[in-house]
Amino acid sequence: MIAEVPTMAIDMVLFNENTSVLADEFFAHRLGLVPLVSTSVDQFKYSRDCTCGEYCKECSVEFTLHVKCTEPGTRVVHSSELISSNKDVVPVVDDNGRGVILLKLSKGQEINVHCVAKKGVAKEHAKWSPCAAVGFEYDPHNNLKHLDYWFEKGIKEEWPLSKNAEEETENDPSAPFDYNAEPTTFYFNVETIGSLDPQAVVIKATRVLQEKLGALQMALEEDQHPDTNANMDEADPWV
Amino acid sequence: MKAEEQNGVEHLQHERLGNGGRRSAEELLGASIGMDVDAKRLTDPIPTIEDKWQLLPAFLRVKGLVKQHIDSFNYFIEVDMKKIVKANELVTSDIDPRFYLKYTGIRVGRPERTDADAADRTITPHECRLRDLTYAAPVMVDIEYTRGRSRVIRKGVVIGRMPIMLRSSHCVLAGASDDEMALMQECPLDPGGYFIVRGTEKVILVQEQMSKNRIIVNTDNKGFMSASVTSSTHERKSNTYVCMKKGRLYLKHNMISEDIPLVVAMRAMGMTSDKEVAQLIAGVDPFYLDLLSPTLEEGAASKLFTQRAALDFIGPKAKSMGRRPGVARRPAHEDALDVLANVVVAHVPVNGSDFRAKCVYVAMMARRVLQSVSDGNKTDDLDYLGNKRLELAGQLIALLFEDLFKRFNSDLKINVDKVLKKPNLAREFDVFSQLMCHGDLITQGLVRAISTGNWSLKRFKMDRAGVTHILSRLSYISALGMMTRISSQFEKTRKVSGPRALQPSQWGMLCPADTPEGELCGLVKNLALMTHITTDDEEEPIRRVAFALGVEDVALITGAELHAADAHIVFLNGLILGITRAAQRFVRQFRVLRRSGRLPAFVSIYIDDHRKIVHMSADSGRICRPAIIVDGGVSRVTSEHVRQLLAGELQFDDFLRLGLVEYLDVNEENDCVIAIYEGEIKPYTTHLEIEPFTLLGAVAGLIPYPHHNQSPRNTYQSAMGKQAIGAIAYNQLNRIDTLLYLMVYPQQPMVKTKTIELINYDKLPAGQNGSVFVMSYSGYDIEDALVLNKASLDRGFGRCQVMRKFTAMVRKYPNNTFDRLTGPPTFQDGKVPERFQFVDDDGMAPPGTRLENGQVYLHKQTPVGDDDGSGAAGGSALTAPSFRSVPMSFKYPDPGYVDKVMITTSESDQTLIKFLLRQTRRPELGDKFSSRHGQKGVCGIIVQQEDMPFTDRGIYPDIVMNPHGFPSRMTVGKLMEFVASKAGAIKGELQYGTCFGGSKMEDMCRILVENGFSYTGKDYVTSGITGEPVGAYIFNGATYYQRLKHMVADKMHARARGPRAVLTRQPTEGRSRDGGLRLGEMEKDCLIGYGASMLLLERLMFSSDAFEVHVCGDCGYIGYKGWCQMCRSSKSMVPIKIPYACKLLFQELQSMNIMPRLVMEDI
Repeated sequence: MIAEVPTMAIDMVLFNENTSVLADEFFAHRLGLVPLVSTSVDQFKYSRDCTCGEYCKECSVEFTLHVKCTEPGTRVVHSSELISSNKDVVPVVDDNGRGVILLKLSKGQEINVHCVAKKGVAKEHAKWSPCAAVGFEYDPHNNLKHLDYWFEKGIKEEWPLSKNAEEETENDPSAPFDYNAEPTTFYFNVETIGSLDPQAVVIKATRVLQEKLGALQMALEEDQHPDTNANMDEADPWV
Repeated sequence: MKAEEQNGVEHLQHERLGNGGRRSAEELLGASIGMDVDAKRLTDPIPTIEDKWQLLPAFLRVKGLVKQHIDSFNYFIEVDMKKIVKANELVTSDIDPRFYLKYTGIRVGRPERTDADAADRTITPHECRLRDLTYAAPVMVDIEYTRGRSRVIRKGVVIGRMPIMLRSSHCVLAGASDDEMALMQECPLDPGGYFIVRGTEKVILVQEQMSKNRIIVNTDNKGFMSASVTSSTHERKSNTYVCMKKGRLYLKHNMISEDIPLVVAMRAMGMTSDKEVAQLIAGVDPFYLDLLSPTLEEGAASKLFTQRAALDFIGPKAKSMGRRPGVARRPAHEDALDVLANVVVAHVPVNGSDFRAKCVYVAMMARRVLQSVSDGNKTDDLDYLGNKRLELAGQLIALLFEDLFKRFNSDLKINVDKVLKKPNLAREFDVFSQLMCHGDLITQGLVRAISTGNWSLKRFKMDRAGVTHILSRLSYISALGMMTRISSQFEKTRKVSGPRALQPSQWGMLCPADTPEGELCGLVKNLALMTHITTDDEEEPIRRVAFALGVEDVALITGAELHAADAHIVFLNGLILGITRAAQRFVRQFRVLRRSGRLPAFVSIYIDDHRKIVHMSADSGRICRPAIIVDGGVSRVTSEHVRQLLAGELQFDDFLRLGLVEYLDVNEENDCVIAIYEGEIKPYTTHLEIEPFTLLGAVAGLIPYPHHNQSPRNTYQSAMGKQAIGAIAYNQLNRIDTLLYLMVYPQQPMVKTKTIELINYDKLPAGQNGSVFVMSYSGYDIEDALVLNKASLDRGFGRCQVMRKFTAMVRKYPNNTFDRLTGPPTFQDGKVPERFQFVDDDGMAPPGTRLENGQVYLHKQTPVGDDDGSGAAGGSALTAPSFRSVPMSFKYPDPGYVDKVMITTSESDQTLIKFLLRQTRRPELGDKFSSRHGQKGVCGIIVQQEDMPFTDRGIYPDIVMNPHGFPSRMTVGKLMEFVASKAGAIKGELQYGTCFGGSKMEDMCRILVENGFSYTGKDYVTSGITGEPVGAYIFNGATYYQRLKHMVADKMHARARGPRAVLTRQPTEGRSRDGGLRLGEMEKDCLIGYGASMLLLERLMFSSDAFEVHVCGDCGYIGYKGWCQMCRSSKSMVPIKIPYACKLLFQELQSMNIMPRLVMEDI
């Protein structure tokens, strides 16, 4: 969920004009971190897989931002002012519809940039991560005895059960301990940055996991039947 | 032992101070014991003055952190300068007796620009920084002189330019509001107190010295007890000693070649009666008379019974000074009289031939020696802060100015004499023209001294280097720390611990934590937060007050009265004023007058009970600090006063005026009983601390919970806080500094201190709050290394910008040729070379350009033949000069961006171009970080977020810190910061970690528990690698981390092949020259020991400077290829390989007529 669920994020910024106080790479970094609605991320290719030279509609979305402050005082530029070339990929906005503050301009300052958002995963850069925090728990009753609670007076008072405990039943303490039991239910508490719904993140994450497991399984099967893959270099010890 | 005894005495003393009466010790003890056992009083609720610490911001509003510098400079400009001119007001001529020039006034104008044709002459400090100018104001004098027979008066004659201290009374920033500061592109938080000389910011550090004009008794280096005085007057400085040798007293002075028996010296000063001498020294005390008798006997044995005889005795031994050739030699006795009157204890004035004051003074010195001989405890402690004086910018510049002004006048006089010597002048001589052509002496002298830091004044035998330093702008704290720094005059080589040790008298005056490590440890100190350094106050009013309060003039008193049992001798600034027979009452009344504002607030008075002396001081350089006055066990400041202060009805100065608060200097402080908290007030308490955390300085004040740390850790942090990257000033993006480190997202610390708010560190912070887990992880965290989270770095944690300045001058040469900027050169096909591709037609790369290593950002061309700039060799302007390209290229491995280009003219009207190049750096392996507890570490590994451990709430660390950092360092304050900032982060508020206070751990733990965390700060953590629970609860929380300036990108260096030095053909040295890595002495020894001779040969010769020479086997000299010039044959030439440096050595030896021969042998 943290590392491998793909989202869209601004990856390239072309500066036409920047007379603000922020340096180019400083502002580009800020733009990169702006969350973009990525529900349609599956429509896009990774740009490394795309046939185009630099970027194209298949693998990217273009944004423009052109603000000039002409009045005295401070002009606050929000992420909602980024104009997208694709109505499905727009900056995430909060309740007041403005989004993140990108920078502030004073009179006479101007910012004019052209940005390209690409698909990516957070393994490469954290800006592609859809999650802010992922809580994780299994076995809330500690039936499996994976945990050895530290307490001063009593476990029950000092370690209140989490909400997830309602989903499971506590083992009878008098029953014999089943040392073969494995955890089967996992509880995730997902907080996203707005680019994807928490549900979507979990589903996509499981799909990524399935794909990985599938790939592993296929590789193992190939390994067991080397004949099926005749042209594989047998001298390669790393496979 | 000693301390206890003193304590006892102090108690007695303060009891007396409080009640005025003098009671027996038993009575006092009884009273105080009675007080302690009085249970009712103990259980009474102590009325606390809420928010009395608010006095501190009020104090800082009035005084500020660098007020000492500014006050001292203001005093110089407004008072001292006038005094100096007054003392040297007349210039006369030896040739024409009618001629005179008199300075009737002097003043300093406002800072002005020097550009010739400027309409608006005002200049701002920031413009001086950018244009490499000196921020200086004209010094104007009013003069009166004779021209022929007429008297001429001129006003406002400019004699030079005085560099102006920023924010001093003559600075344009004085009294400016924040908006006005912003208009002048100045940071309102900048402390000021420094100079801008030729574009660089220079600070004159505070210098610590021994007190002048005070008697210090100590054992000298020969083991004799001696009393020494360093007299300092405007004319000269000299050391006088009275020492005890074999039971006899002698007077010693540098200007007298031998030690003079004291009695003889006294007789020479006109005190011929033994009885008078004995009484002055010993009074009527038989004990001292006994001690004195050998001295008196020696006096009698000398047979010099008259003043004349004594003077004749001293005369030949006196090194008379300043004798001009041609003037007849004076008789010996006049020499002696001159030396005694003007050199020995020079600060004691001699009226005509009345030496009595000086005799009394010398006798006093003698008495002090006798006291110390009889009781070793009565020597003075040289390291006691009350015996020290701090010399500030104003005093140092005053010395310099005085010297320059005198030189200016003597030069003027010489020139005037030269002109007047001419038999017939064409015109009436007007000295004004002479005055104008000397204008540069004072300006240049001041500018040179401040910019080089060399204070060499021959008159005072003063030759100090390193008085000024470049203001360090690494961070706001480093600049601030520099302004409060005090450097000591002791040599650092001496291995004595005394001057370096922390002195108890430094309490509240100097910061106990902020001192460097290493050779300067303890010699460089820093002022505490609430200190002030005095300037000179007028002596005369104090003298008058003293006499009015019943001091009997010393001139009217005999020795017996002077040392009478009930009399205290009264000193003013080290001079004997007289005696008082009711010292306690005198001191009390004096203090009443001072508190009511009848006397200056910075005059100090205290009783030295051991020696029965009352000292009054009004001299400059004493450190003092304010304290609340306590009367009869009740603090004078009440909650009502604080309320008025908060409401803005009262200012700090009003507290002084109303006598609620007063300044105490070190000596007076040690004569008081100061309660730290209200609860500690006892009936004999005289003062109450305003706030105890002010004993730390500005830099150590950043540390949260410092009172829980091991003390060296606070010292380490004080050193490291100055290297932290952060915001520097509000005008940081307008500055063009040689090197500027800026943090991209600086944060104020979660755990603040009151000091942080007072010094505005929360507005210009240097660091970020990171989530920290204390656990071992991956093994890349041993030896203090840190594990960083890659996602945090992606999001901007620790990111910083490095700005570098590059300057170029586009010169004009005297022969009318000039440098020029041109567009990039082209190949024949019209293409621009790769490295010139970003240069525009104006010869410069525009802002925003990304520069790679080796690319040109400025293309300048200079006329050929003008390398030296003299213009003599080059072609004249008539023939078109040919030009040579001098491109400036970017020389760093990582790319940088052009941030700014500034084109302006410098002071000498040359075009000046400044480039500001910028790099943005995210933390990488090996970059240095530190928390605020002296816990530095380098980044050992950067880990993907998904591999990081996390809590059940999904909290990830930004930093994983190894727990081994704690046991030996004992930085409990850091643990407390963890818990406090964790609690603060949960609750969404800032916490305080102020020294001796701050948020209570109990409250912090309660917040944690209320929000479902453990009060221990530990949490259940899942491993990011295995997905299993980590085997222990992990202590975690937020901590303020500073990124230090030491970065791998600046230090990384390796070389395979590269440049070689011209002379030796060996690889160059150092990173900046892409040098080789030296296989040094010790490495060589290792290889020898191991026996790897071929490796050694390869490293030292083949990889370095191997050179093939042809040696003649017969004569052993180096010849040409196949030919020996010496033997005139090619018979036995052998080619061998030797280091080029070896060949060089042979040739150098040959040039000195030493012929080394190489003897060839078969192997």
